[in-house]
Amino acid sequence: MSAHEQPADDGRRLSPADVDAVTFTQATMLHPGYVTTEVDDFLSVVAGELGRLTTENQQLQDRVEELQQRVDSAPAPVSPSDQAVGILMTAQQTADRYVAEAEEVSRQMTSTARTQYEEQLAAAREKAGAIIQAAQEAATRVVGPAPGAGGGGEHPDAELLQEQVAYLKAFGSAVRTQLRSYLEALIADVEHEWGRADPAGVPPSPTRIPAQRPDVRRQPVPARFEGNAAGGS
Amino acid sequence: MDIPAMRATFAKAAAHGDEAPLWFYSHLFLTHPETRELFPVSMAHQRDRLFAALGEVVARVDDLEGLVPVLQQLGRDHRKFGTVAAHYPAVGASLLATLAHFDPAWDDAVAASWTEAYELVAQVMVEAADADEGTPPWWDAEVVAHERRTLDVAVLRLVTEQPLEYAPGQSLSVETDLRPKLWRWYSPANAPRPDRTVELHVKARDGGPVSTALVRGLAVGDVVRLGPPVGGLRLDPDSDRDLLLVAGGTGLAPVKAIVDQVARQGPARRVDLYLGVRTEHDLYDEADLRRLEQEHRWLTVTRAVSHDKESGLEHGDVGEVVVRHGPWSSRDVYVAGNGPTVEDTVARLAASGLPADRVRTEVYAPSRPAPDVNGEGTR
Repeated sequence: MSAHEQPADDGRRLSPADVDAVTFTQATMLHPGYVTTEVDDFLSVVAGELGRLTTENQQLQDRVEELQQRVDSAPAPVSPSDQAVGILMTAQQTADRYVAEAEEVSRQMTSTARTQYEEQLAAAREKAGAIIQAAQEAATRVVGPAPGAGGGGEHPDAELLQEQVAYLKAFGSAVRTQLRSYLEALIADVEHEWGRADPAGVPPSPTRIPAQRPDVRRQPVPARFEGNAAGGS
Repeated sequence: MDIPAMRATFAKAAAHGDEAPLWFYSHLFLTHPETRELFPVSMAHQRDRLFAALGEVVARVDDLEGLVPVLQQLGRDHRKFGTVAAHYPAVGASLLATLAHFDPAWDDAVAASWTEAYELVAQVMVEAADADEGTPPWWDAEVVAHERRTLDVAVLRLVTEQPLEYAPGQSLSVETDLRPKLWRWYSPANAPRPDRTVELHVKARDGGPVSTALVRGLAVGDVVRLGPPVGGLRLDPDSDRDLLLVAGGTGLAPVKAIVDQVARQGPARRVDLYLGVRTEHDLYDEADLRRLEQEHRWLTVTRAVSHDKESGLEHGDVGEVVVRHGPWSSRDVYVAGNGPTVEDTVARLAASGLPADRVRTEVYAPSRPAPDVNGEGTR
């Protein structure tokens, strides 16, 4: 086949229009070529078919490009389906519930154990106190009347002394408290007045005399309880 | 950024309660399975926290000056969880997916607002985390002593591998391999020391996963992780007033650290420490308190028992005993303990005429109320 305008071989595709536009060189008068109408009919069939294929090809290419774009624009993992999310939600909730139940069981168990521990401890201390008291009473009975008249005279004296000691302790404690309150108020006043005169002039006061000394830190403790505490701890 | 639209979107998700964060985390773990290991087994409490934090951000998004410090603290604090910059886009994508899922009116405009806001938030957090690169994200600390002092209370002595700077009275978060990914706050009971020892007082709460593990499961030689210090009762550096320290239970730890600081750094001042416990047997640190009293003539410790008729100590709630021994008008006051103790003490001191600005408090609430059997946090 020869043609005036061959489809260029520069990569351009043969289009239906190309086929339509093809003209054939007239053969010699003596040697006639194909019947022109037949060639023309066939060419138009080819043109139709080629047109259909080109359109289809273009559509497919568009589709590929569109899909490619979709792939490119979603580099992250494809979003999980709602169903997958739902399954994981249920799984997590189940795990949470198990942990919560375990913690609840642990809480109930330890609080029960603690209650029992405290009850038993209280009972034991009560018993110990009763035993000590009984022992003391027994000791008084044994020691008290035994030495006769002399011993009997000593006993009230000791009681009297103890009473006096208790009174003095209470008196001392009250005086200390009042003295300390007074000193605190005094310190506050002094600070206030100094601060008013010259705020920067309030010095650190290393010379302040602590109003409470170690021996008065705690309230007088009856010996019986000190003994208890030492024995119990 | 269309802030009202964003708030509307957030409100729609928040209205679904626990379901929204549950959806968010499920989406995150499905798209980025590697993030699952940053979280504890039970996510119940985590979910509350996420939406609480998000809610705060959304509420303050038009007040950047107030918001930025919060985000910076969050960013710094997230280093210890193993969060890195690469995790932020993953979280952002799942957050947007969650908001879209719960908002029928979700569109490109509101998506763009949220993207912009999230990128801003992530940037502030990542930058704050990066700025902190000089310090470790957490400190490994070996248990060198573990003493069960009472049924519930243990005193731990730890030695950190790297030096850990904190102010006495501040808190550190603690994580143990016994309960991975669960961090709880505790106050060291000492000022930082050259030998890097840290003393912690831990009370096992019934059903508390971390505290019970620290008290009953931890042993000498174990290694725990400590997070960076935050907040707490910090001694006012501009005051040299005498001190009144009030502690309930293991609230003793931060005030003991303050005593330690006064002993080490001065200035010379009188310190009265009031310690409130239920019974005499709950005095778990007597040996050390007696030693401190003997070493320091300026220190006076008074113990108060609230539920011990047999005891020869002061009776009553610690706040009541403190005020009975007043007035304290010349003092700076530091109070640490559980909520009711702190509230009661502060109210009584205020009623006795002490100016409120002299009182500093720290509430040592159980860091997490155990969830109930339905897996719901008791908030």
